[in-house]
Amino acid sequence: MAFNFYTSGEDNNNNSNPRPPKQGNVNVSPKLIMGIIIALLVVIGILTSFFVVDQTEQSVILRLGKYQKTVGPGLQTKIPFGIDKNYNVPTQVVQTMTFGYRTTSGQTFTTNTSTDYTNESIMLTGDLNIIDLEWIVQYKIEDPYKWLFKVNDQTKTIHDVSRSVMNQLVGDLPILAVMTNERTTIEIEAQKMMQTTFDRYGLGVKVVTIKLQNIVPPVGDVQDAFEDVNKAIQDMNRYINEGKEDYNSKIPAAQGEAEKMILVAEGYSAERVNNAKGDVSRFTSVQKAYETSKDITSTRLYIETLEEIFTSDTSNLTLVDKNLENFLPISNITAPNSTAVTTNGGTN
Amino acid sequence: MKKTVRNLVILGVIIIIVLVFQPFYILQEGEQAVITRFGKIISVQTESGFKIKVPLVDNVVKYPNKILSWDGQAQRIPTKENQFIYVDPTSRWVIQDPAKFYETVNTVASAQYRLDDILDSTIRTIISENYLNEAVRSTNQINNMNVVETIQSVDDEQQAEYLRNLTSTTLKQETISTGRDALSNQMLTQAETFTQEFGIELEDIVIRQIRYSDDLTLSVYQRMIKERNQIAEAYRSYGRGRQATWEGKTENETKQILSGAYATSEQLRGKADATATDIYADAYSSDPEFFKFWRTLESYKKTIPQQNKILSTDMVYFDLLYTSLPTSLR
Repeated sequence: MAFNFYTSGEDNNNNSNPRPPKQGNVNVSPKLIMGIIIALLVVIGILTSFFVVDQTEQSVILRLGKYQKTVGPGLQTKIPFGIDKNYNVPTQVVQTMTFGYRTTSGQTFTTNTSTDYTNESIMLTGDLNIIDLEWIVQYKIEDPYKWLFKVNDQTKTIHDVSRSVMNQLVGDLPILAVMTNERTTIEIEAQKMMQTTFDRYGLGVKVVTIKLQNIVPPVGDVQDAFEDVNKAIQDMNRYINEGKEDYNSKIPAAQGEAEKMILVAEGYSAERVNNAKGDVSRFTSVQKAYETSKDITSTRLYIETLEEIFTSDTSNLTLVDKNLENFLPISNITAPNSTAVTTNGGTN
Repeated sequence: MKKTVRNLVILGVIIIIVLVFQPFYILQEGEQAVITRFGKIISVQTESGFKIKVPLVDNVVKYPNKILSWDGQAQRIPTKENQFIYVDPTSRWVIQDPAKFYETVNTVASAQYRLDDILDSTIRTIISENYLNEAVRSTNQINNMNVVETIQSVDDEQQAEYLRNLTSTTLKQETISTGRDALSNQMLTQAETFTQEFGIELEDIVIRQIRYSDDLTLSVYQRMIKERNQIAEAYRSYGRGRQATWEGKTENETKQILSGAYATSEQLRGKADATATDIYADAYSSDPEFFKFWRTLESYKKTIPQQNKILSTDMVYFDLLYTSLPTSLR
């Protein structure tokens, strides 16, 4: 359990201890036994002196438990019979550790702590609010020797340090800052702090990146309340827009209305003045004519006027004789062959 | 032939001796060992490699020469203000003095129990001596931070400022004097005096997580909800207020526009009337008598046809009906 990430090349070496030869059997010559033993040793020796290091790996070789060297990918040799042991460490692989959630596929880290992972994402913020923060840590093993022999429970250590750092950073910020504009700062700071801690431990790990995933208030009523603020902002904008809508629906119309009023008044003005001018010029013309022969013109005007009046609408005109000597209503004075005229004329 | 057999036997014996008595041992990287002879410590090995020992007599006890982790259980601890919180600590430690370690605790497993005792009580002490703030925060930077809500669709900067003030949540936090790191260090110093007795050196003690106790959590949730509600209502109320303002503005401007236009139009009319009057007066004043005559006739044309009329023939127009023909025609 302690070393999950290397494969040991020492599996065969229990067989390599030669057994004492059996003496009892006379049919088997000691030479043959020796031969068999030597052949066995050679085979085992060959088998245990080569090992393969993958392109993604580096291999640490211990000679009798002491660090000898680190070798790269390819077919490598070592001293057989378990004198050299090789530990392959995946140094090129970027490993991902998730916090607050687990993906079911892939080589995700399996926690061996007793705390369950819904709890690990719950944190206190600096303003003593509670927030649910999920994040990932990507790291790779930089120094396989340190990784193997400096720290026990390496992945658990990474896990613990990451949680502690994240708690510390979030604990120093107000909840809204964590949720909004401080995300990147947290990521950068966390990476720096984790790297410092790992270097202090001599873990041989390089933190590649830290990414904050889901940052939400605690699920349930609290989250609803946060959601409600967003809704409230929408509501606010709706109200304002309704107000603007009202404004926009009325003001341009009113402006049009106002322009209309003014235009109408202008029209009236022009009409009034022009009428006056027209009236006056007509009057003046007539007056000129009148000046030359006052009697004739006035009489003519008078007669023309009455004529016009009487011819314009005759429907309800009743004419009554002024002397009432003969009551002669002339009902239709303008009608052709008017009896009234002839009758009247006749009486005189 | 005989020689070969003899050689084989010798080889076998050597192998058996090696297997049974093991006059050597291998100390791997990341291991250290205490060698005891008849129960007495004779040496401590921290260098890895191939080592010789006296078979049967010497006993090799191997310990890890690595940083080990201590995984604390989350404890429910009251803070100085008597709020119950769960503190989940973890610690890194190394066996710094294997001899002492061998004497006092002997195995890594029992060391874990010792650490449980020491660290749990240390953490409990430090946490309950301090306010919650001190354990949660590391610095006072929170009081210099201003979280600005991003507000869109607000008409001007002044309004945005007003709204920001309304919804601002920057309650000033208490100033902390120690902070999380310092608390960890305090724990470390305090615990180290005990762990040194066991040959253990503590790398660090860190708080993996701080969380409110369950009933406290609920009331914190309530507070958070109320805080949000308050802000939400501020937004809504602001929105309604702005709506009302817009409505007022609409009404105001409508009336201003219309009444302004009315004023202008009446002015125009008045002017026109005045002009017309002047024009008429100018022209008519040259001959008032004729004007009266002329204007009356003009007026007749318009008014008389509209009315029901019973006219007497007693008017100049009908005079001819009663008089004889003019003398020239007679």
